[in-house]
Amino acid sequence: MAKRTPSIDTKNLTAVQLMELDSCTRCGECVKWCPTYAATNQKPGLAPRDKILRWRQYMNKSYGVKAKLFGPQEIPQAELQEFKDDVHHCTTCGICATVCESGINTVELWEAMRANLVKKGIGPYGKQNMFPKLIGQYHNPYLKDQKDRLNWVPPDVKIADKADIVYFTGCTAGYNQLPLAFATSRVLNKLGIPFAMLGEEEWCCGSALIRTGQAHIDNVPLGIAKHNVEALQKKGAKKVLFACAGCFRAASIDWPRALGMKKLPFEVIHITEFLADLIKQGKIKWVKPINKTVTYHDPCHLGRHVGVFDAPRYVLTHIPGIKFVEMDRIKDFQRCCGAGGGVKAGIPDLAVAVAESRVKDALGTDAEILSSACPFCKRNLSDGRDSLKVDIVVEDVIELVAEALGLETK
Amino acid sequence: MEYFSGLSEFIKMTFAQAIIFAAIAILIFLYGMIGALQKWGSGVTGYGLEPQAGQKGSAIRFLKTWWSQVREASHAPHAKPLLEVLIFDVLFQRRILKRSSLRWIMHFSIFAGWMTLFALSGMMFTVEMIEKLGIELPFTTAQFRDFLSFPNYIFGYLLLVGVLIAIVRRLFITEVREASIMYDWILLAGVFIITITGFWADGIRNGLIWGLGLNPMTAPPAALFHSVISLLFCIAAVPYTKYIHVIATPLAILANKGGE
Repeated sequence: MAKRTPSIDTKNLTAVQLMELDSCTRCGECVKWCPTYAATNQKPGLAPRDKILRWRQYMNKSYGVKAKLFGPQEIPQAELQEFKDDVHHCTTCGICATVCESGINTVELWEAMRANLVKKGIGPYGKQNMFPKLIGQYHNPYLKDQKDRLNWVPPDVKIADKADIVYFTGCTAGYNQLPLAFATSRVLNKLGIPFAMLGEEEWCCGSALIRTGQAHIDNVPLGIAKHNVEALQKKGAKKVLFACAGCFRAASIDWPRALGMKKLPFEVIHITEFLADLIKQGKIKWVKPINKTVTYHDPCHLGRHVGVFDAPRYVLTHIPGIKFVEMDRIKDFQRCCGAGGGVKAGIPDLAVAVAESRVKDALGTDAEILSSACPFCKRNLSDGRDSLKVDIVVEDVIELVAEALGLETK
Repeated sequence: MEYFSGLSEFIKMTFAQAIIFAAIAILIFLYGMIGALQKWGSGVTGYGLEPQAGQKGSAIRFLKTWWSQVREASHAPHAKPLLEVLIFDVLFQRRILKRSSLRWIMHFSIFAGWMTLFALSGMMFTVEMIEKLGIELPFTTAQFRDFLSFPNYIFGYLLLVGVLIAIVRRLFITEVREASIMYDWILLAGVFIITITGFWADGIRNGLIWGLGLNPMTAPPAALFHSVISLLFCIAAVPYTKYIHVIATPLAILANKGGE
């Protein structure tokens, strides 16, 4: 009789991650905070600790003491399929890692599980499987032509051919959320900061592939990181500005890791950090007050993943006229907008359900404007607002800055 | 050769027998622990990698990977220096305190009570071993046992408080009870039985109220029961049950520099 083989393997799961499965004390903190668990009326399989429990059981059935003595126990394909669905119903927001009493790096654990299953032919989820082809072939996830990368640039915006500062637009702002790109470029011009852009040489940051466990397919994220870093160097970049939290996270963490570098050969800065620094230096002269009550949503990829919490608040609180109010769940404990981790593409209804919760958080502050610092958050929070049919403006911090500088964002 | 710790000539519990029990418990523990390390060591050594074809789980690979992660700089925004993590997050359990003061009191009481009693038992055992080897000490084993009596009570009570909070939480808080599975119950039952039998055996031996008025002649078998149960749960069962978190959680916290 042929020896049974384990139903799962350990591809992509590090030895430390396998240990982390055993370190979970099942305290349940992650369950209390998980935004997708809450948005699905507490579907048990989505609870982070339940996913850890199930993978631990898979490991024990496949590689535990009993498996060593009596052979691995089979895990039905249907069970793995169900697990795949559950692990992809996660926005990789990272709140479970923040509150985990055992200090488990859950985001990387989910991503490793996703990649492991994708390698096995199980997953990703729904339309997420289009990412490798779209990003690999078109270098953006929106099926747009690379030649159109700079089509959005209005005639009044001046872009240098080479400069110390390069603005990495990102696919979402460059193709779909144009007001953000208008605002960023015009603000930089107004402040007299010469900047360059990559144009056709700007490729998608690769975040969508990494988050959905598809980084290994044709090694697209590695190619992307290599290409973008080289292109940025050719432009003379000493500082690269990002107005998209997803791209910022990718450049801060994923690119150096893919390239095996401790640091990239240029500084990676989010636009809000850059502006906060200019405000501190007294280099911004506001021209128009914004007499509105504004609250701020921390993008997961900007805040929890990289640690930028204060700069956007600093900028907002220095715009004349703004009355800044905070929601209940902020900074480390912010509630995700619902768009990340491939959920917007794979499970759009879930993304909107999570966004609705976040919009309700904002409504609870009586704010007139719900601001954020990520085009993807803006898009999903707007969808959540529309779904709730409520009256609140969703705007990016950079758009508010542009407005306060008397600039158009259209 | 008589064994001192509460076991007398009456039931012929000898030092050798106690050592045999301990040795069996340690062997079961080692077998399971090597298995756990090999299971963890079946993972890959770095981000995005795959195991080599035909590669088996290796305890050494796990240890090397863990150490490498401990040493490398973390990209996590809240990563802390290792010494701080060791003191505040591992020993003081700051991450639990941040989330729930009640759960911190519960867990820290169990942790501090359990580990200290374990250490005190180890000290008593060491003194007895030294005496058995014929090495003269400035005190007798009986004097040393009396010396340990007070801290034994203090940390025993601390453990008891923690265990009782844990049981009450699990039984009477609906969301905790409904989420509890056998994996959780076994851990709690083990800690509870060890704690209760410890007090019970001590009560019988010293004629205290928690001896339930039992004849002091029954003290030795009660102590034996407590010793065997403790060895089973404290040592032997660790790699096979939720007790594994006693080892895995500090390692995870250290590897992730205090967590995200």
